[in-house]
Amino acid sequence: MALFVDVLGGLVGTFFIISVLSMLWKDNPIFRIGQQAIIGATMAHYILLNFKSALNNAVLPMLGGNLLLFVPLLLGVLMYTRLKNEIAWVARYPTGVLVGVGTGVMIAGTLRGQIIDQIKNTVLDLTNSAVSGNMTGIINTLLIAIGVVTAISFFTFTREHKGVLGISAKIGRIFLMISLGANWSGELVWYLTQLIGRLSWIINTVIKVMLLGG
Amino acid sequence: MSKDKPVTFWEKLGNIDYRWLYALSLVFTIIPILQPLGLPVQVSEPTIGYCDAINNLQPGSVVAVSFGSSLALLDEQEAQYLATWKILFQKHMKVIFYCTYADSALILQKHLGSKVKPEDYGYTYGEDYVWLGYAPLGEAGEASFAQNIRGVYPKDQFDTPLDEIPMMKNINDQSGIDLLIFTYTSCTDVEWPVRQWVVPYKKPTIVATLGCCGPMAAPYYPTQIQGFLSGSGMGTELEVYSGNPGPGAMMSDAKNLGILPFLLFFLLGNVSYLGKRYAGGKSKEVK
Amino acid sequence: MSLFVRKQLPIIIASILGILMILAYFTTFDIFAQFKGIATSWVVIVSAVTVAMGFVYMTNAQIKMYQMNKTPLQLAYTLTTYVFFGAFMIAGLAYKGDVNSPEYQWWFQNIYGNVSATIYAVMYFTLASSAYRTFVISSIESEALVLGGMIYTLRQIPLFQVYMPWIVPLGEWFLLVPNVGGSRGAVIAAAFAALVVGIRTLWGKEVTLEVSS
Repeated sequence: MALFVDVLGGLVGTFFIISVLSMLWKDNPIFRIGQQAIIGATMAHYILLNFKSALNNAVLPMLGGNLLLFVPLLLGVLMYTRLKNEIAWVARYPTGVLVGVGTGVMIAGTLRGQIIDQIKNTVLDLTNSAVSGNMTGIINTLLIAIGVVTAISFFTFTREHKGVLGISAKIGRIFLMISLGANWSGELVWYLTQLIGRLSWIINTVIKVMLLGG
Repeated sequence: MSKDKPVTFWEKLGNIDYRWLYALSLVFTIIPILQPLGLPVQVSEPTIGYCDAINNLQPGSVVAVSFGSSLALLDEQEAQYLATWKILFQKHMKVIFYCTYADSALILQKHLGSKVKPEDYGYTYGEDYVWLGYAPLGEAGEASFAQNIRGVYPKDQFDTPLDEIPMMKNINDQSGIDLLIFTYTSCTDVEWPVRQWVVPYKKPTIVATLGCCGPMAAPYYPTQIQGFLSGSGMGTELEVYSGNPGPGAMMSDAKNLGILPFLLFFLLGNVSYLGKRYAGGKSKEVK
Repeated sequence: MSLFVRKQLPIIIASILGILMILAYFTTFDIFAQFKGIATSWVVIVSAVTVAMGFVYMTNAQIKMYQMNKTPLQLAYTLTTYVFFGAFMIAGLAYKGDVNSPEYQWWFQNIYGNVSATIYAVMYFTLASSAYRTFVISSIESEALVLGGMIYTLRQIPLFQVYMPWIVPLGEWFLLVPNVGGSRGAVIAAAFAALVVGIRTLWGKEVTLEVSS
């Protein structure tokens, strides 16, 4: 037998699911209430969790003797100065720290992980297939290599896409469209899964279990 | 296109009220929820790679699970991580869970210990698995975690210092970890473990993500990531391949009919376009 | 305050930090690795502390929306935001276990979980209805888009896996061959672009850093 609080939760959840789905008919106050509710809820949730993280990772260790942690705490507080125009320039310091560290960490890994290794793998796959003599492998790896080269040529915007570059860019566009199609397909099925999940929750959890006691 | 009401048959075909699509989609999605079809699922190569990356580890290996899922995306990823956790516990891996997204801590709390109980596999908290809690990592945070776990998580989820947790006594960086499982929801995040774990430390890595992000993880497979799961479909495949039934089966089943209205309207849209293009002025007016 | 302190010094700090991160990656000197460990853990703390700025921006947006539309309904919407903000804050702070308490879990799963999941569900209808109008085979590029999309869609549906078994290897082939060709090219191109922007940032040439807040 479901508890009253569980049934109440089920009914509240069902109300909010239907309030969002009602948007399909037309924009209406019930949908807007659901929309505004989640804005407030998300903000509260992020504040609660992040402040707890800051407490555990900085405030408590600092009070326990690690005074160096005062620096990132101060930097975080200084970020709030951007809310006032006269002292907004102070926020450039914590922004600079975030940007500098993030950019450095990104650059370091990008060169190897996303450029050198990706090109290397494309070439190695092709040569390994050629050496092994596997015709299917050769065709597949050759197609991948053609796709990589032509797709990169499509992103070359410093020269007009004419002649050989034009043909290459057009072929690259086709490969990119196939990739976009695959991404689009993944999105469609993802959203369908979300719909199934919510409808299933209403039917199997709320109606069958909570209300009918099944 | 003319702003007037559609007059030819082809134009009418391409201007059906969207609400028919909505209504049909709802009905066709509800039917298999009420009456499952039970059709089998084929397992794909990336899913096999994902599962085998875990199976190829020795029992007692340490697996770090970077858990970045969201409660909003439970339906899409639940099958993935429930099956993953079951495999990890069945294979007696030591598991370090750490949350990188605000919701993910609540998902772990909701599911770890209820839907998948480590204790059922003979696991003891602190000795066989540990949950480090939440921190807003980002890429820089992942780099920090790989280099110094205590720098990001000085305590676990239950406020116990890591030095007091038996399992974490000799583990403070990536050198003590044998496999990284990276769960994420933003498509470009796959670059983070590649840049911060794979490239500098050559750490075996597998990823689990949404359906739309799988095609973007494919370029890194199989050389930089040994396998990937894309959406609830591949989560279901993992359930089937590993023999651990879960919520994915119902999700996959309901997709069978739920997709049909979309396919119908897609066909109608293209037939309408081709009809307008090629039939042109020869189309008769439909009254 | 001088222009150097207000604009140039933060850029210099960003550049120095970025270069130190790169040196930590490409050299074996322990000092750089230690500095990288400290800096990256500090970034996590700074991110955590600044999250409340979102509350300020949210309030700003709510005030602007009300100023544009001064109706009782708009006021009700604005109040709804703060009612739920307050309810979640109380639920998260008042009970033992804070966000891990059963009370907070109730609020979070039944309201946040359902609304956010349903917003994605609504996207299915939006995507499907837009595809009805726009997903037409009108050129070779659109044919490629439709082919990649439809083949991979059908591959994911068990109904088609059973009754069109050839869709399984075909869908996988699309995912692992032409998709990889296109995606890998895009990854490499995007990586070059990110490198250029990153180097410009560390060099102090990136204009966005100089824009005042």
